[in-house]
Amino acid sequence: MSRHTAPDELLLDYATGALAPGPALALSLHVALDARARRIIERLEAMGGALLDDEAAPADEAALRHTLALLDTIPVERPVAPPIARPGFEWVPRPLLRHLGSEMNWRRVLGGFDEIRLHLPGDRHRVSLLRLAPGRGLPVHRHEGEEYTVVLQGGYTDATGNYAVGDFAIGPGPEEHEPIADAGEPCIALIVLEQPIVLTGPFGRWLNPLVKRDLI
Amino acid sequence: MLSPDEAADRIEAIAARQDRAAFADLFRHYAPRVKAFLMRGGTDAETAQEVAQEALILVWRKAASFDRSRASAATWIFAIARNKRIDLARRAGRPAIETEDWLTVFAPEVEDADKSVLAGQTYSRVKELLGGLSTDQLVVIKKAFFEDKTHAAIAEELGLPLGTVKSRIRLALGRLRDALEKEQS
Repeated sequence: MSRHTAPDELLLDYATGALAPGPALALSLHVALDARARRIIERLEAMGGALLDDEAAPADEAALRHTLALLDTIPVERPVAPPIARPGFEWVPRPLLRHLGSEMNWRRVLGGFDEIRLHLPGDRHRVSLLRLAPGRGLPVHRHEGEEYTVVLQGGYTDATGNYAVGDFAIGPGPEEHEPIADAGEPCIALIVLEQPIVLTGPFGRWLNPLVKRDLI
Repeated sequence: MLSPDEAADRIEAIAARQDRAAFADLFRHYAPRVKAFLMRGGTDAETAQEVAQEALILVWRKAASFDRSRASAATWIFAIARNKRIDLARRAGRPAIETEDWLTVFAPEVEDADKSVLAGQTYSRVKELLGGLSTDQLVVIKKAFFEDKTHAAIAEELGLPLGTVKSRIRLALGRLRDALEKEQS
């Protein structure tokens, strides 16, 4: 059971369809992995259904005839079997699978962690999968914009707590933080950033120009 | 009028035998509602009509994926209409969202241990409880659903502090949670 569920207002933004693709992807993975978040979404979607059903409007027979004519060429589809993750990517939850092209693979970044950049059409967030070896940390950094994290494998710990598979974290804001991967499996997480991070450690500070120019 | 059970029966009839009469019942009930729902959020009549028709065609195509133990018909059709609206907003050169992806409710990664609560019951109770929310809470909830705005955008529009809007949302959901969990435990 997961212990860090996204706040109600963010789940509402997701349920109504108001989020940009990057944050919406983060929420979809959280909802896929966290039963509590899923229950809240079920209630919110039921609320949407109730609001929809409360609308009163007369039937439109002309539109119905037009649509029925279209159905002659539209089959009722068989349910689609979920796609299968390729070897090494068994940890990928279903909503993420179609964003991971077969050519995409881990790229070694500074500081001993790996990254896969995801490109969501029409989205300005920086969306990445990060993989951190057990016991390894990310360079000390802070955020200037919003940051959403969903743990997909393993776990990590920072000053705000311990995060396991399915947990959702909202960036700690302007304070520095230094997440350290837990022992055991490598920690894999989806990270959605509104702005590039700012490295604040003695070594990291020199790398900021590269981060800003999107080189790392 | 179509009760939740009758609507679910109609969707299953489409899945079982491409039942056009069942489709017509659903269309008569839901197409005008989807259109009205979208127009409340400022969508123009022509676009709303188009989205409503596309949403109902998706109900036909995806009827076999409907599972009444997971969601009521109204909830399912709301989710379809919502995603049609997202597609519309992103239409400029964007691939459509995969139906299976956005119907999160219907494809949990891990089977929930407790499926003792029927989706239809949740739906009926949510519908009742919606009427019991305060006006302040309802204003925010309705704006979110009809106008497709984030809570931050709603706070800005209403000239309210972000914390006030968050607490209204949390109170509204808290009331639903308390009522549903008391009954279901």
